[in-house]
Amino acid sequence: MTADTRILAKPVAGGLDAWPALALERARSAGEPAWALEQRRAAAVVAAGLAFPDRRLELWRRTDFGALTLGELDPFAPGLRARNVDDLPPAVIERLAGEASNLGLLVRRNGAVALEQTHPALARQGVVVCSLERALREHPEQLEGRLHALIEPDLDRYAALHQAMRSGGAFVRVPDGVHVELPIRLIHWLDDAGVAAAPATVVVLGRGASATVLEECLSATADGPAFFSGGTEVFVGEDAKLVYGHLQDWGRNVFHYSNQRARVERGGELQWIQTFLGGRMTKTNSYFRLAGADSSVFVHGFMFGDQRQHFDLHTLQQHAAERTTSDLFIKAALKDRARSVYQGMIQVAPGAQRTDAYQANRNLLLSETARADSIPGLEILANDVRCTHGATVGSVDPEQMYYLMARGLPRRDAQRLVVEGFFAPVLDRIPLESVREQLRGVIQAKIG
Amino acid sequence: MTAPENPTVGIRDSYTEKYGFHDRDQFVFKARRGLDPEVVRGISRMKGEPEWMLEFRLKALETFRKKPMPAWGGDLSHIDFDEIYYYVKPTEQEARSWEDVPADMKRTFDRLGIPEAEQKFLSGVGAQYDSEVVYHRIKENLEKQGVLFLSTDHALRDHEELFRRHFATVIPPTDNKFAALNSAVWSGGSFIYVPKGVRVDVPLQAYFRINTKDMGQFERTLIVVDEGAYVHYVEGCTAPTYSSDSLHSAVVEIVVKAGGRCRYTTIQNWSNNVYNLVTKRAAAYRDATMEWVDGNLGSKLTMKYPAIYLMEPGAHGEVLSIAFAGRGQHQDAGAKAVHVAPHTTSKIVSKSISKDGGRAGYRGLVKVAKGAVECRSTVNCDALILDEASRSDTYPTMEIEEDQVSIGHEATVSKIGDEQLFYLTSRGVPKEEAAAMIVAGFIEPVVKELPMEYAVEMNRLIQLQMEGSVG
Repeated sequence: MTADTRILAKPVAGGLDAWPALALERARSAGEPAWALEQRRAAAVVAAGLAFPDRRLELWRRTDFGALTLGELDPFAPGLRARNVDDLPPAVIERLAGEASNLGLLVRRNGAVALEQTHPALARQGVVVCSLERALREHPEQLEGRLHALIEPDLDRYAALHQAMRSGGAFVRVPDGVHVELPIRLIHWLDDAGVAAAPATVVVLGRGASATVLEECLSATADGPAFFSGGTEVFVGEDAKLVYGHLQDWGRNVFHYSNQRARVERGGELQWIQTFLGGRMTKTNSYFRLAGADSSVFVHGFMFGDQRQHFDLHTLQQHAAERTTSDLFIKAALKDRARSVYQGMIQVAPGAQRTDAYQANRNLLLSETARADSIPGLEILANDVRCTHGATVGSVDPEQMYYLMARGLPRRDAQRLVVEGFFAPVLDRIPLESVREQLRGVIQAKIG
Repeated sequence: MTAPENPTVGIRDSYTEKYGFHDRDQFVFKARRGLDPEVVRGISRMKGEPEWMLEFRLKALETFRKKPMPAWGGDLSHIDFDEIYYYVKPTEQEARSWEDVPADMKRTFDRLGIPEAEQKFLSGVGAQYDSEVVYHRIKENLEKQGVLFLSTDHALRDHEELFRRHFATVIPPTDNKFAALNSAVWSGGSFIYVPKGVRVDVPLQAYFRINTKDMGQFERTLIVVDEGAYVHYVEGCTAPTYSSDSLHSAVVEIVVKAGGRCRYTTIQNWSNNVYNLVTKRAAAYRDATMEWVDGNLGSKLTMKYPAIYLMEPGAHGEVLSIAFAGRGQHQDAGAKAVHVAPHTTSKIVSKSISKDGGRAGYRGLVKVAKGAVECRSTVNCDALILDEASRSDTYPTMEIEEDQVSIGHEATVSKIGDEQLFYLTSRGVPKEEAAAMIVAGFIEPVVKELPMEYAVEMNRLIQLQMEGSVG
């Protein structure tokens, strides 16, 4: 039995209005560089000038965070520092599946760092895997111009607050030409209800580098809301290759809103995997900018909702240069009263000739009270292109069911197989076997 | 593909000569510019309307004032509602014979080929000139079967009970800002009633013509197809090319009762200075079929999304749409299918072409409401972009609240395929002709649904458009 090491959250006196000044003060005493402090200050001004988004804002038309009262949460909840992996919450230990010694690893707990572990092999290659707090102290020059560079602070009030309230984060940097064999894992854990965390993640791959990074969100279901405000910025250098996975498996009390941006330079390749399994409400904006010629982005994602879960994903494939390729495939399956919103846009800038862009969204409704909204889109301002999107919404294919049941499978098992088969193509892309297996387990439990 | 070397010749270039002429100003009454309750009262008084219609108009005017301009779609910032003439009455009364139409106006419709077409292949014709219908006639045998084909004003006057039972039931004035505007100042348009079981085998046609500069045309069309009946209604429209902008904002409501079928075909060919902001919606009941065939070639900006509400089991809806955007044009076309009832089906096919800096797009909605199980819907959008300066947008939306459904959407944007071009040119077809053939093939699935005379016209227009477009 491990002792309960959870830290109880307590709201800040003065409420939401008092948050930014307190965050700024803490950042100053932590020795954040002047430009980072200035970012916080500027974002706080933007946040103060905005109301919380409601359905009048196009991106918030279908998702309502009304049940979340931010001011009642604690944005400064500390997290217990771990001496080693054994000190981490049991669910995190289980997720690591005994492989922790073979990784670059950062575990965050609430607003704080729990464990930073750079593998000697990575250190030898000059690879940095550390908290954003440390990176701002030790490598500020590598963050300036990158941190918050790709996320518009005035996108909405949550995005502005994220930058004003940034509670540390993660930094990964791979030097030019370095191929990282070991996977790098960034894990976010929230202890309890009442916690608000706003970590920023910055991943930088130098020219010709390659790496695999998994960012995972985990917590146990607690009684009462918690809020995770994420911001991930990924820079894929020329001819670099990054496999990045964002796996959301929160407890059912967590509201999750994150902005994710990737910028891919000439000849670079990004493989992006995105999964939504947990949380109460999840809203994510993932934008991919093909900034350099001959770059490519492949996105595979799934959502599986049950009970009253709500998932909202907005993707943008921005083709800004010639001969760029993007291929996106998002699947959603929904049970009970779950709801999904997928909104996707392919944008081709003038002059981005020879663009090849694809976007597909498949939705599987497993109950008559589930709901799926699909809003794919194309904005094409170049002519020598091939851009296609497709979206479908339907229930389990009766022919597939018939095929399986005719071979003696009970209806329940047949349906389970069909749903597992629905997710399999995305699941197969998740880089680590142990993670894949655990997510498969989560899916099976949800099918019930 | 290299940029075109010759200046392009297209429908929009020959437009001025063919359609863009205008008559000298002629009207028996012209309201002052701008819009206020007095103008609305004036329109209603002039038409001798019942009190309830005046009240309806005034209430709609309030709604219009309160509603914000749409922030999406095209650029509406240049519309100056104070500069528009909302009502221009061209003649004292509607004629039943072309002989009774004033000579200038008759000449206009002659040039547009309307009387000739009426003779050859139509069951009835309505011709609207600015705010009023100047000519209306339906074949006698249809009249005998109880088919009504009248100007909407006429219908209100002579069939008030039937009219009032359906008017504004499909599109309430509160639906959107421009539906509210139309509800306040509507004038003209067609009213059609097809009695139970009557099939009108040959199309009815209405032609809408704007002549006056700075004019707003707000026709209102209401079609009621009773049980088991059928009608095909065709509308065309053109306007003179003026340097200042005109506004066309129609409302079209259609009710298709059990087992009925209605097809509504539009060949929209307004001049490049017309804002075309139209609300079109049909309600289809048990086993009824509603088909919109929507061709958008003209206008400066079109925002139009013909809708079908599938109200009862067995209802089926189709929208076939062609949008063509050339220089200075923005076609924000689209479609909506709202599945309210179970066992309903819909199909949307959209083809758009953009060229010479034009912007064409598809904006649509497929909605399956709670309880509407066993629905099927497919949406196919294809776009061709013919040069670097042009733009194509696709904004479909799917809102699905039921599980026993099959909903699909596919869209593709591309240029004219090099392989197709090569195939044709290597067989001796000149490049320009080859490109025109490919474009004709591209829109063929929609064109083949047009009545033959219109299909010929559409192909000719596209061919003209393609001249000189491939270097």
